[in-house]
Amino acid sequence: MMRNLNIVLMLTSAIALAGVYGLKFSIEDTANQRSALVAKIKSQEGDLSLLKADWAALNQPGHIEPIVRRHEEALGIGPVQQKQFGSFADLPMRPAAPDSKALNALFESLDAGVDPIDAILEGLQ
Amino acid sequence: MAAISENYAPTIALDGSRKTRGNLTQARIRWMILAILLGFVVVGGRLIQLGMVVTDSTIEGQARDVITATRPPILDRNGLEMAVDIRVPSLYAEPRRIIDVDEAVRKLVTVLPELDPEWLRKRLSGDQGFVWVERELSPALEERVMRLGIPGIDFITESKRFYPGLREASHVLGSVNVDNQGISGIEKHIDNEDVALLQDIGLARGNDLAPVTLSMDMRVQHVMYDELQDALVRYKAIASAGVMMDIYTGEVVGLVSLPDFDPNDPKSALVKGSFNRITAGIYELGSTFKTITMAAALDSGKVKLTDQFDARYGIRFGRYTIDDFHGKHRILSVPEIFKYSSNIGTIRVMQALGKENFRAFLTKLGFDKRVPFELPEMRTPTIAKEFSDVGAATASFGHGLSISPLHMAVAVSALTNGGNYIAPTLYKRTRAEAEQSYVRVVQPQTSDWIRYLLRLNALEGSGRQMDKEADGYRVGGKTGTAEKVVNGRYSNSKDFNVFASAFPMDNPRYAMVILVDEPEAENAQSGVTAGWNAGMVTGRIVQRVAPMLGIAPDFSPALDVATTPSFLRSSGSGE
Repeated sequence: MMRNLNIVLMLTSAIALAGVYGLKFSIEDTANQRSALVAKIKSQEGDLSLLKADWAALNQPGHIEPIVRRHEEALGIGPVQQKQFGSFADLPMRPAAPDSKALNALFESLDAGVDPIDAILEGLQ
Repeated sequence: MAAISENYAPTIALDGSRKTRGNLTQARIRWMILAILLGFVVVGGRLIQLGMVVTDSTIEGQARDVITATRPPILDRNGLEMAVDIRVPSLYAEPRRIIDVDEAVRKLVTVLPELDPEWLRKRLSGDQGFVWVERELSPALEERVMRLGIPGIDFITESKRFYPGLREASHVLGSVNVDNQGISGIEKHIDNEDVALLQDIGLARGNDLAPVTLSMDMRVQHVMYDELQDALVRYKAIASAGVMMDIYTGEVVGLVSLPDFDPNDPKSALVKGSFNRITAGIYELGSTFKTITMAAALDSGKVKLTDQFDARYGIRFGRYTIDDFHGKHRILSVPEIFKYSSNIGTIRVMQALGKENFRAFLTKLGFDKRVPFELPEMRTPTIAKEFSDVGAATASFGHGLSISPLHMAVAVSALTNGGNYIAPTLYKRTRAEAEQSYVRVVQPQTSDWIRYLLRLNALEGSGRQMDKEADGYRVGGKTGTAEKVVNGRYSNSKDFNVFASAFPMDNPRYAMVILVDEPEAENAQSGVTAGWNAGMVTGRIVQRVAPMLGIAPDFSPALDVATTPSFLRSSGSGE
C-alpha cells in the first residue's frame, strides 16, 4: 500500500518537476522573444522618427523653393503674377446659340422647294 | 550514525534498542528542523537585504525617464511639422564595470577622435555607476562603438529636438537644451504651460503627446524670411524684421527677425544681435505713429477728416523748432497731413485732441505694458507717464517713446479691424473665440477712416513704391523713417525704417509691420526713406503671400473709391 503510494507520489513529483522546468524554459523563451520584439520596436520607432524628420525637412517651403528655382527655366514656371488671376466675371458671355428652330424651318422649306430668298428677291423686282 | 551507535554500544543498555533508536530519530529530526530553519533565516535575511538596496537608477542626478522624455511635435497651422523629436543614441559608461581604462580610452578615441584622451581617462576611472561620454550621436557611430566591444560602455536612446525648418522660424520656436527642456521661444512657453507638469507626474514618456498647433503659416514665414534676408543684402542693412498677424483673430502667421540663430544649435543664439526684434526690441517707430495720433484725434470727434491745419511754419518749443521733412509749408487738410507725413500738421492734430487724451489713448492701445504674448522674450515699452508739451508733440510723430514692433502690429490690427483690440497669439484661434476678448478702442467709423488714410498713403503718399510692388492687392500702409540715436544724438545718416500696413484695404485681413535697420539706397535712383526699403519689402511680401492666403488681386478703382468716405469722394482726396 505505502509502497504503491510512494511510487505514485514519486512519479507525480517527477512529472511535476519536468512540467515546471518545461514551463520555466518556455516562459524564458517567450520573455526573450518579447524583449527582442521590444528592442526591434524601439529601433524601428527610432528609424521612424528619423524618417518623419526627413519628411518634414523635405516638405519645408525653405527646402522646396531652391529646387523650384533651379528648375524654373527648364519647366517654364515662375512666381504667380497679379495679371494671371481671373474671375468668372471677367469671362466673356457665351456667344448666342444658333437659332436651330429657324434653321430647321429653313431647311424644311428648301427641301419642300420653297426658297424664302426668292420671295424677297421677287419682292425687290 | 554508526559512530553514534558505537558510542552507545559499550554503555549498559538500560533502554530497549527500539527506544534508543526512537530517541536517536527524534534528535535527528530536531537537528534537521534547526538546519532547515537556519536555511530559511539565511534566505529571508538575504531577501530583506536585497529589498533594502536602493539601486541608483538616476543618470547624473536625473531620472532615466527624464532623459528619454519626449516633447510634443509643433505644427504650423496647415499641419506642417516645425519641430519634431528624433531618437538618437547617447554613449555612456559605467566606470565600475570597466576593466581596463587605458584600453577603453584607446579604442574609443579611434571612433570618436574629438574626445580628449586625458579627459576621457579621468571620466572612465573611478567607481561611479553612470557617466555620460558623448551625447546625441548618430546611429552609424553607435554601430562602430558597439563593434569595439568595450565592457562597461553602452548606449541609451535619447530624444533630441529637431527643427526641420532650420533657421526660418527660429525666434518663434526658440530652442531646447540638451536635456530637452525649452530655454526660449514657444518651446519655453510650452514647458511652462504643461509639458513640465506632465513629465513631473510621469506622463509624457512615450511618443503619444498631442501635437501643438501654432497659428504660424510656414509658407508665409518662408516668404517673409526670404524677402527680409534679401533686404539685408539689397539695402546693406544691419538688421531686418517683420511680423504679420490676422487682424480679426490676433493670430500671428509670420514672425521673422534677422540676424537670427539656428535652433538646432542653441549655442548660436548667444551671438550678439540675434535677439527677437519684434518682441524684445523697442524702437522709436517714427511716422508710423501718426496713424495712431490720427486715430485718437478722429475717434474723439475733436478733429474731422475735413478739417484743415496750418503747416506753414515750424513749431517752436523753447530752443527747438520742429519742422517737416519734405515740408509743403501751406495749410493742409487732415488726409494731406497723413499723406505728406507732416510733423507740424500731426502736432496740430494732437494739440486739437489734447495731450492728456492722446496719452490716454496710448494706454488704451496697451503701449504702457508688454504685449500679452506667448513668447518669453518681451520688453516693456519706454513711454513717459505724463507728456510734457514737447514730449506730446514729438510722441505724436513717433519720437521720444519706444515700443516694440509687435505693439505697432497689434495697434494697426485694432485700428483696421473695426476698432477692437485683440491680443496677439501664437496658437490657433477662431474668430468667434477671439471676439470674446475684444476690447473696443475706437469706433467702427474711425476704423473706416484709418483704412482710407492708409490706402490713400499707399496710392498717393510715401507708400507708392510699395503699392507698385503689390499692385492689385490693395495694401494700405504708413512709412516711418526714424533717425537713429548715435552717441545721444539723432544721426543724419543712420535711419531706422518701418512700414506698418494692412491688406487688402477694402476688407482688411492681415496687418504687417516690417522694419529695416540702417538701410542704404539700393541704387542711385532710389532713396533711403522707409518707402524705398521697408515699404518695398512689404510690397514684395504681399505680392507673394496674398495668393497663398486666398486674396486675389483686383485692379478695379471702384474698390479704392469705396474705401474713401462719401463726403470726400466728389472733391477727390487732396490735390
